[in-house]
Amino acid sequence: MQKYDDIVVGSGISGLTMALILGMNGRKVLLLEKSPRIGGSVSRFYKKGVPFDTGFHFTGGLHKNGLLYDMLSVLGIRDLIQPVFLSEENANSFFFEPEGRLYEIPYGLEKLKKKFKDYFPGEVSALDRYFEKVQQVCANTPSMNLQALTALHSPMNEDFLSLDEVLNGLTGNPVLKALLSGFAMCYGVMPKEISFANHSRMCLGLYESVARVKDGGEAFIKAFEAKFKSSDIEIRCGKYIARLEDVYNKKVGRFILNTGEEVTAENCIFTIHPGEILKVLPEQHLSKAFVDRVTSFESSAGFFTVFAVLDEEYDEPDFNSNILSIFPHTDVNQLLDPANTGASALVIIKSIEEVKGKIYKTINAFEPSFIEHVENWKDSKTGRRSQSYGDYKEERVENITGRIYNAFPRYKDRIKVINSASVLTFRDYLNSPDGSAYGVKQKIGQYNLIGKLPLRNLYAAGQSSLLPGIMGAMMSSFLVGRYILEEEQYNKFLSKSLS
Amino acid sequence: MTEQEIIDKTNKVFEESFEIEKDKLTPGAHIFTDLGLDSLDIVDLVVALQKSFGVKIRNEEKVRNIRTLQDIYDFISAIKNEDAGKSS
Repeated sequence: MQKYDDIVVGSGISGLTMALILGMNGRKVLLLEKSPRIGGSVSRFYKKGVPFDTGFHFTGGLHKNGLLYDMLSVLGIRDLIQPVFLSEENANSFFFEPEGRLYEIPYGLEKLKKKFKDYFPGEVSALDRYFEKVQQVCANTPSMNLQALTALHSPMNEDFLSLDEVLNGLTGNPVLKALLSGFAMCYGVMPKEISFANHSRMCLGLYESVARVKDGGEAFIKAFEAKFKSSDIEIRCGKYIARLEDVYNKKVGRFILNTGEEVTAENCIFTIHPGEILKVLPEQHLSKAFVDRVTSFESSAGFFTVFAVLDEEYDEPDFNSNILSIFPHTDVNQLLDPANTGASALVIIKSIEEVKGKIYKTINAFEPSFIEHVENWKDSKTGRRSQSYGDYKEERVENITGRIYNAFPRYKDRIKVINSASVLTFRDYLNSPDGSAYGVKQKIGQYNLIGKLPLRNLYAAGQSSLLPGIMGAMMSSFLVGRYILEEEQYNKFLSKSLS
Repeated sequence: MTEQEIIDKTNKVFEESFEIEKDKLTPGAHIFTDLGLDSLDIVDLVVALQKSFGVKIRNEEKVRNIRTLQDIYDFISAIKNEDAGKSS
């Protein structure tokens, strides 16, 4: 029987981070991935030679001494990740269809505040209070500080107030509210359901800087793979834990893989969806309270996605990477409501990609979508779905390309749609239950699964544990890593690269 | 909500969500040594109590000091009174 110090389950960005933290600290690690290849939602795919990202499109925190910058430094892979900062002036734009007005949102906190005040001169004090609150929340959140990470910080008032409640207390301006809560597209939860605290934690990084990464999520995967070579980390794809055996004193003794192979390990860290973790845990060792808590988690939003490329012959000299969100109205709650049958929000991300010296101008477009939208085909598998599903996809693609043309009339007939994906596509390719983009919905008063599980040598991390997105997922691994390595060792590990 | 209702509802959480026998549920019962919970069960307990009483439990300090069932009764009753004070 093979023996390891730690098993890490799932090789998305959180699993990769977890494995590397443990491996760099001299531990023998087995990294298991159910899919044929590692990377989870940070993986890319190529079609007709054009690269497209599945789950990782842009991030905050890559500026010097930003949170992501620091994490990459600690992991020794910062020089392998090349940020491509979006245009500072209009990284993030919002277009409101009814008023036909474009709001260009820059980054850099001071610049951002000033732009908002220019757009809303009557709301200066509301804006000051809003940004002050956001900064305050983040400054008081230990899990946003690599040196002071703790999971169970005392919640603050803002953890129990919704984004809606706070915004309603600050302003009556519906457009301003929609702009501030429009960032909810980056975590997939309605403003009336997300706490102001988690909204702030997600947004501050994006207020400070917005970047894509050269070669997209693949750059992360390659960087981790390269770094794994100097540690004792074994990757096995197509493998997962089927059963846990020899449970004694609330600790698991033997881990049985889907292939029947048995391994032992001191710890096992699950970086997969909480619902999938629950399936592995032996029921007789769980309280009903625990099972109820995990099954009550809901799914965050997913996206119906169109992957397209601009015609090679079409030359647009000032084509640059940026994000445009088109809102049909200012009710962001409705735009993220699975029951919404009206118009959708549409997020269009333009980017320049280079493969083997060839330049591609890609246009990816995302409409929030939920498993409820594809209820009829829920039980089908990718590649074997019915004609009516094909029709559904075709209709949505047509509608979305129409909206892209409305936003950019110059692209009419110059865009090639290369591929499209429904939430079922994401579900089946990325092993993400319900095809949601951000794991479980982070709701007010919710206690996520993080750290020790009911069997005490099992742990939970991942984007559903702390905060969604690449930063939240990685932070959760630092947090659990700190616990497993224990504080002294963890601090030594950090101090090697952070002063 | 009367004190008895709080007691009944709390005990029901222990019976149904933690499968603890009814006769062990005395006010003086220590939740760790007598009822067999451990510190990691506390989060599940908090979530179950939130759901059962329809309240948001946010004072970690007070939660950390909970030792006996009576502590929980008092804790819930304080939250309920606070909520009642707010809505009136």
